[in-house]
Amino acid sequence: MQVPRAPRFLAGLFLRVALALAPVIAGLGDDAARAKLVGAVLSEDAAEQVAVVRDLVSVDDPVVLRSLAAWRLGNLYVWSPPDGGAGQPFLLEGATDAEGKSAAIRVADGSPLRDAAGTPVRVVVADLSVADTSSKVRRAIKVVLDLRAVGDPDPAVRRDAIVKLGQEQEPDYLPHFERRLPLEADPGIRRSLAEAIAFTRLGGTDPAVRIQAVRTLAELRSINSLGYLRKLRGQVSPVAEPELRRAVESALVVLEDYVWWGTLFGTAFRGFSLAAVLLVASLGLAITFGLMGVINMAHGELIMVGAYTAYVVQNLFRSSFGGSVAVQDAYFLAALPASFVTAALVGLVLERGIIRFLYRRPLESMLATWGVSLVLQQLFRHVFGAANVQVGSPRWLSGSWVISDVLLAYNRIFVIGFAFAIVGLTWLLMTRTSLGLQIRAVMQNRAMASALGVRTERVNMLTFAFGSGLAGMAGACLSQIGNVGPGLGQNYVVDCFMIVVLGGVGSLPGTVSASLGVGVTDQILQPWLGAVMGKISVLAAIILFLQWRPAGLFASRGRGLEG
Amino acid sequence: MKNIPVKLVGSALLALFLGAARAADTVKVGVLHSLSGTMAISETSLKDVLLFTFDEINKSGGVKVGGKPHMIEPVIVDPASNWPLFAEKAEQLLVKDQVSVVFGCWTSVSRKSVLPVFERNNGLLFYPVQYEGEELSKNIFYTAEAVNQQAIPAVDYMLGEGKKKFYLLGSDYVYPRTTNKILKQYLKSKGIPDADIEEIYTPFGHTDYQTIVASIKTFSGGGKACVISTLNGDTNVPFFKEFANAGLTSENCPVVSFSISEDEFRGLPAKALAGHLGCWTYFMSIKSPENAKFVADFQKWLQAPKVTGVDYTVTGVDPKGRVTCSPMNLSRIGVYLWKAAVEKAGSFDVDKVRPAIVGQKFKGPAGEVVMQANHHLVNTAFIGETLPTGQFKIIKTIKKVAGEPFSAKFLGAN
Repeated sequence: MQVPRAPRFLAGLFLRVALALAPVIAGLGDDAARAKLVGAVLSEDAAEQVAVVRDLVSVDDPVVLRSLAAWRLGNLYVWSPPDGGAGQPFLLEGATDAEGKSAAIRVADGSPLRDAAGTPVRVVVADLSVADTSSKVRRAIKVVLDLRAVGDPDPAVRRDAIVKLGQEQEPDYLPHFERRLPLEADPGIRRSLAEAIAFTRLGGTDPAVRIQAVRTLAELRSINSLGYLRKLRGQVSPVAEPELRRAVESALVVLEDYVWWGTLFGTAFRGFSLAAVLLVASLGLAITFGLMGVINMAHGELIMVGAYTAYVVQNLFRSSFGGSVAVQDAYFLAALPASFVTAALVGLVLERGIIRFLYRRPLESMLATWGVSLVLQQLFRHVFGAANVQVGSPRWLSGSWVISDVLLAYNRIFVIGFAFAIVGLTWLLMTRTSLGLQIRAVMQNRAMASALGVRTERVNMLTFAFGSGLAGMAGACLSQIGNVGPGLGQNYVVDCFMIVVLGGVGSLPGTVSASLGVGVTDQILQPWLGAVMGKISVLAAIILFLQWRPAGLFASRGRGLEG
Repeated sequence: MKNIPVKLVGSALLALFLGAARAADTVKVGVLHSLSGTMAISETSLKDVLLFTFDEINKSGGVKVGGKPHMIEPVIVDPASNWPLFAEKAEQLLVKDQVSVVFGCWTSVSRKSVLPVFERNNGLLFYPVQYEGEELSKNIFYTAEAVNQQAIPAVDYMLGEGKKKFYLLGSDYVYPRTTNKILKQYLKSKGIPDADIEEIYTPFGHTDYQTIVASIKTFSGGGKACVISTLNGDTNVPFFKEFANAGLTSENCPVVSFSISEDEFRGLPAKALAGHLGCWTYFMSIKSPENAKFVADFQKWLQAPKVTGVDYTVTGVDPKGRVTCSPMNLSRIGVYLWKAAVEKAGSFDVDKVRPAIVGQKFKGPAGEVVMQANHHLVNTAFIGETLPTGQFKIIKTIKKVAGEPFSAKFLGAN
């Protein structure tokens, strides 16, 4: 930023005058505040800039607030008049027009920036010179904006600001918290405020106030203060300040206990959620491989078909109903059945075209399905490109539900619920419908079932299609958790076979228990061993287990094992 | 029908003659990037930008040696993301095709695999992708960002923002492990205690980030925490999804990623990453006449890609809306540095070109770079904030950072 010498001096002079008037400035009009800000933007003295920014905390002028936010993010620009006059800081207004230009608003009075002829200027961002900032100024602005955000109408913004300011342990912020406390209606934020106040007071020197603050933090079950209290335990001498030391120690006992339970429930939830992911992915395979005995290497690609179906449905919804948030929320409900149907159809074609000729030749069926998996991968790479595609998340699957500091992400809760639902439906289908009866009959003894008039060909076809459809639905569901790309299937297929084999081929309860076992064990081991060693340990444990019980958890007699 | 063979023979002879005439004035240059396999998604972009640069140079008169212009003739091989195959293909380029120089490699493991081949055959390789350092071969020029040109400025920025706790998260391979080892030493030298540094790795293709995000949530509970991520490729998607779902934002716990450039956003949900940070020696959003020309020319070239009149197909990626990123810029810079050095040496001979490269300057899209005697560039480092459009907004510029491959040297200086 180049500002000619004389105007800079003038600006500095003005600033000094303004600073001298600082005590009364809150009472002055907003013009004075804006002028101060203009002076600060043009100044090259960082300390002066910080001082001015701090003073602006009580100003309510919208132009000042917008300018501060813009300055911090580098969206505030300076216009130097061609005649060499003082630089004029300005903001950009609203959207850009067809030529990529936007209107410019002067920080000095909120009026449009005008050229020599007096017509409002429209500017292109690329041509502008950005007002300089330093990290000190940016931090000062951030503090001012955070202090103002303590009274923000949006609860999330309020909470973030309060938590962050509390962590600074800056006594100057206390009045801001205390002023807000009686006005605050949201119980969660009241707690955050109380925590911030206690934490700030703990940073002070008065022993009585500090002890009270430690007790309050323990009562609030403030996990955020745990690290600080642990440090404090090391600093406070038991001889000089015995009471504070005792208070810290008892607070730590309470908090550590609370964290222990939180970790326990958190781990349990994460274990269940990983188990649900594994179960959802492998249930289809439990039917095609487990019940029917087809070593279906294309299972992963059936999952991929489902995930891409979700992507296509999303795009169809966007192109026919527009890109609004409500559409985004709704598409996923349509994507689930659509992915079931698509993958089931692919499975049907696969069964009719290839697999039915290979029922008595498991090795050839393995090779053939592996070939199919490669063909499908290349086909999708060709149609949708080699890069991953973006499947958006509906609002109701984003974010998380927080109970006592344990995070339950909505998409994880959904997967757990979904796993329950499809296992329940599969169980009902198998035990309560005539198709299920026929499937079980064919599975146990094909010749006898055939002799009794069951159309075994048709049953095979439907069973395989059903298993494939489940895989497809799993794909739609997994699109909310991981990546959707041509390699999606390969990431899951090994885990799926592992789960089905571990559970016992042909046993649905086995698949369910194996998913639970692997999921929970993995999540318990991960915090100790790390993600890499955790996974290796789980795999090693599975190998050992299968040495001991080769038929898996629930050995059953299915057609696949008759040889 | 009878006179057709005569015509054919005639045109064949003509082509042969023309070909011979042209062959006299060409120089063979190797392009060693994976065009298939896992790395293809990143490396094809580098092949594209290299061919664009060759065409750019050929159009403006080629490489002039002894007053005679030489047209660049690319020899493209596909090492297929297979590390031993990189060595074989490098051998093929140097021994069979006798190329004057090779531009290539992305992953550190592929560079390590070709290094002995280049040293044995006295070849010349330009390597353009940020890496972990601790290596220096007389046959390799590293236009890439060394650790002190990317990771250290990023960490400095975070320290400047008042961050006191660092969560180092990476994919489990050589680049993240070496970088984090250096960063840990650096942070300790800046007074960050061990207890406030966490170092975690996940396997390639990891999708379950629940535990890690929960631990980041606890880690950042006391405030002033940030994540330094060397996660590679599409594992970033589940990580950032989980991160956002846990209520973590760039406000309460910013993430600086070293492996996400504009080009990677083709496969990432840019919205989930908005506000988080990146650090490179080039961003597409840099405002300079050189950059504006580079971006515009490259995008125009992609519409009808040709190298000296020979058609060439861009595979796998939609040419529309293609972006530029730091490795692409550094690939291009490598070609220009080599060209200038060859013209200075007046020869394509590696032993004559090598000393001429040192000290070469090039005014690139991100400002001037200089090749130092340690085969690394003096370059400008930028910190950028991710925008929902998949571009970066530059928030800090650190000028004239001299690349230093050996951490012992720059850590010792502190």
